[in-house]
Amino acid sequence: MEDEAFTDISGKPITLDCQNHSSFCREFTVSSPKVSIGKVMVYTCAVWLFAYAVFFFTQITAVLSGAILITLVGMMFHIHFVKVDHESLLVIGSLGIQVSSSYASGREITTFIEMSKIKDIIINEAIYMHQIIYYLCVLLKDPSEPNAVSSVVPLFQSSKPRLNCLVKVYKSCQEILSKSQ
Amino acid sequence: MGQRRKVAAVNTHPSQRDIGASTDAPRVHNRKHNICMVSDFFYPNMGGVESHIYQLSQCLIEKGHKVVVVTHAYDKRKGVRYLTNGLKVYYLPLQVMYNQSTATTCFHSLPLLRCVFVREHITVVHAHSSFSAMAHDALFHAKTMGLNTVFTDHSLFGFADVSSVLTNKLLTVSLCDTNHIVCVSYTSKENTVLRAALNPEIVSVIPNAVDPTDFTPDPSQRQDGRITIVVISRLVYRKGIDLLGGIIPELCLKHPDLHFLIGGEGPKRIVLEEVREKYQLHDRVRLLGALEHKDVRGVLVQGHIFLNTSLTEAFCMAIVEGASCGLQVVSTRVGGIPEVLPEDLITLCEPSVRSLCAGLETVIAQHRSGSVPSPSSIHARVRNLYTWRNVAERTEKVYDRVAREEVLPLDRRLRRLRAHCGPVAGSIFAFIAVLDFLFLVLLQWLVPDQVMDIAVDATGPLGLWRREATSKREGYSKQQETQ
Repeated sequence: MEDEAFTDISGKPITLDCQNHSSFCREFTVSSPKVSIGKVMVYTCAVWLFAYAVFFFTQITAVLSGAILITLVGMMFHIHFVKVDHESLLVIGSLGIQVSSSYASGREITTFIEMSKIKDIIINEAIYMHQIIYYLCVLLKDPSEPNAVSSVVPLFQSSKPRLNCLVKVYKSCQEILSKSQ
Repeated sequence: MGQRRKVAAVNTHPSQRDIGASTDAPRVHNRKHNICMVSDFFYPNMGGVESHIYQLSQCLIEKGHKVVVVTHAYDKRKGVRYLTNGLKVYYLPLQVMYNQSTATTCFHSLPLLRCVFVREHITVVHAHSSFSAMAHDALFHAKTMGLNTVFTDHSLFGFADVSSVLTNKLLTVSLCDTNHIVCVSYTSKENTVLRAALNPEIVSVIPNAVDPTDFTPDPSQRQDGRITIVVISRLVYRKGIDLLGGIIPELCLKHPDLHFLIGGEGPKRIVLEEVREKYQLHDRVRLLGALEHKDVRGVLVQGHIFLNTSLTEAFCMAIVEGASCGLQVVSTRVGGIPEVLPEDLITLCEPSVRSLCAGLETVIAQHRSGSVPSPSSIHARVRNLYTWRNVAERTEKVYDRVAREEVLPLDRRLRRLRAHCGPVAGSIFAFIAVLDFLFLVLLQWLVPDQVMDIAVDATGPLGLWRREATSKREGYSKQQETQ
């Protein structure tokens, strides 16, 4: 299913993996590229060179050890809290939707939305930073008010795929949702 | 997440496109444009410019063009919304500075505006109102991006005081390389041509319009045994409310059966309240406060005479609405007002208390003798004078003409700026134009055009909104045929 090349909104390549578990259960996984070693090197070198320049003028050795510490902590923080390796959407007809995102360190955050709360899945437009983008989101409803939208859960928040990828996911999701309703 | 704006839900059915493509309507011959209306003033803000943009857009959509509106965010209304018939409105989060007009730095709006222009495949940028900083920004950026531009001026300006001298200079700069300018009356055209030092050939006059079905007469709402004068305007200096404050006591003393009905809100309300207090006219002068547009007709039909005391006006919509409701119109002879109505439907006076009183006296005397035309006959005459379809047709011609013209490349634009706007201002703005161009190149490098998703059309030749409705209707009629 990976013959089409997809990119995210800033033009970086991403991959979409669709798995058909059964006719009413599908899983979509959007994976972002791994952290490149070059980028890590550039950031580390920049911090270290800056620290060395400060050390050169002030002769305080604590600056150097501080810089090493900052790069290590920064890298850990980045892979644990910022860098999302892949996000997946598991749609099970008549049961619900499971959204999970796993970080580069292996940490995973999973949420489950049961079918009774889901109103629909739609593609919407929003202003994001200095761009206007399309995104996929789940509309939630309050069981007491079945016609109103109570809140919106955006999907694929960190990978931000472009419209062609969203349309593909949207179509298969709608297939399952229409069967289960 | 904080940057994401919750926007109105739009249900894009990708399957609908396939249906639409198969039932392709016969090709219309004339060219369709992708128009972007830009102004700081749009709904939910109320006013003449706002309704002008809305009505014009609706009629252009009806003619098969694609129209999007760009404005700034109003309070919690941010992001993308759809109005009637798929009119798409972008509420961009730009900082509002003064009087609902955005702050301008010439540059900060470029990324978002470029995004709108690129993703909607805009061919003509139509900016409205010279008070709107966003409109000027959009013109500037559109020219940098090589798009055709049209500007509509909705107001008149002075020449003498410092603020008008400055705005006029800015207008000169903004309009000197705009393809076409539209004014709402000949007076307004004259004013704009002088202010912005333009070639009169690129300035068209297209008046505003009213929706005649909204403003129909209903004489049964009038109260017998009294004569009611209706005034509907914002209570501000420009609308001559001080004159009104002088007229009310003079006429009320002479005619005991005269009543005033005043709709609108503003800083000059205090003047009218003082007059009412001083002469004890509480039962005869009613101040209704701010009116919503839908309530205006209900107030108009209660009156016999419509009074307009504006001191400056490019094109007065209010008197057309008044006449359409069958009222006798008395107005000041300022700006474009004498062009608006045929002479026998309007009584024109000089903007002074004495002249206005004399004008009102003659109309009151006509009323008493019963020699005024009936409301329905006035309505019938006004009904076809100003229609939005006519405005849209004329605007369409402007677009057709503009689309054939070329947009000045940067070097000629710079030369033109320096030749037309004086050596100092011209050089400064030429420099800004160069910076704008460089900023655009930077943005094109950061986010190339190919990376931006092309928006799904709601209106226009490939519009899904209309297809959806018509294909359903077609399907329905086919079903009926088979039965």
